[in-house]
Amino acid sequence: MAQLFESLRPDLLRFAHWLSRDRALAEDIVQESLLRAWRSRDALKEPAAARAWLLTIVRREHARLYERKRLELVPLEEVTETAAAPRVAAPDGDLLTLRHAILRLPLEYREPLVLQVLGGFSTEEIARELSLSATAVLTRLFRARNKLRAICGMTPAAEVADGGRAP
Amino acid sequence: MTCDEARLQIGAEPSAASPELEEHLRACAACTRFHEEMLGLDADIRRALQQPPEVAARRARRRRALWQELALAAGLVLAMAAGLSVWLLRPSDTLAHEVVVHVQGEPESWLATQHASSGEIAAALRGAGVELELTSDRITYAQSCWFRGHYVPHLVVQTTQGPATVMILRHEHVAARRSFHEDGMSGVIVPAGAGSIAILARGGGNLDAVAGQMQQDVRWLPQPR
Repeated sequence: MAQLFESLRPDLLRFAHWLSRDRALAEDIVQESLLRAWRSRDALKEPAAARAWLLTIVRREHARLYERKRLELVPLEEVTETAAAPRVAAPDGDLLTLRHAILRLPLEYREPLVLQVLGGFSTEEIARELSLSATAVLTRLFRARNKLRAICGMTPAAEVADGGRAP
Repeated sequence: MTCDEARLQIGAEPSAASPELEEHLRACAACTRFHEEMLGLDADIRRALQQPPEVAARRARRRRALWQELALAAGLVLAMAAGLSVWLLRPSDTLAHEVVVHVQGEPESWLATQHASSGEIAAALRGAGVELELTSDRITYAQSCWFRGHYVPHLVVQTTQGPATVMILRHEHVAARRSFHEDGMSGVIVPAGAGSIAILARGGGNLDAVAGQMQQDVRWLPQPR
């Protein structure tokens, strides 16, 4: 079990980093999450479900920390990706622009997008996790991509009405 | 299905399909174009998220609370117990290639002429579980880079034959010295301390001398994070 958890650490760290936009905070979140997961390891019945289970714990740990330390988080305007040393093997300007844009998405849009794209969660799973209606999740995902679309120079689609909290 | 409904569905889940959407797309060229654009954007988003962001925040690192330190210590037990075995089992035949690709992705690293500041070097070493005794005036580039699932120190040191890249790979284990040549670059990976060190330079140069020096100058801390 420990080996399985540890093998997923890079995935968890990347996920936490995109959520928190802070490497040190992401490392703390992952450490705390692994600790919590280890204490609750009996709840994990299927090793195949470990990744999704751990990602959920990381998301909740981030949310918990975000709520508690909201005032200590780095303000949005101070956040920028280090352009001097891009980390992708073959970086291009568009991809770097897109990475900046994702970083600057408000958490309410960035979180479902990262859960969907990196975590592989379905709309229903995201809705359950974020206590939102499926419609609200779809709306947020649409808006997230629509904002990125505009930043990438494409014509954004017409806005859609808000979805609501899950009943 | 209206165009607005179709675009909401496409924007939320570009790769998802439904009979209603497919029927709409067959009859609507504008939404079909929107769909194609969104599929392309989504592929780029996926690529963009594959690497963690390198965020520069103009604020001092927060001091960790005691509970976090305790959590880290406990988590370390997990890491120590399992990490080594996992990484020992990882195939290493692509390691040299990945070092080359990584360095090619940071071509500016060999162009730096001024020595890196002690702060930059400290940031590059942060969390890597190593200390460096090399004097900073020989280091012209220092970054902490995401490589094979870990942040690793990526340095460039100036030698008499030009710049040489040094990557300190705590999580990569090689049984013996390996040399490689790829895309006009030469390199060696040598076992060192708790992991290995990769040295890479353009053309020739006495890489073994650099490797030997680094083996002496890198101090592997007993309890890395």
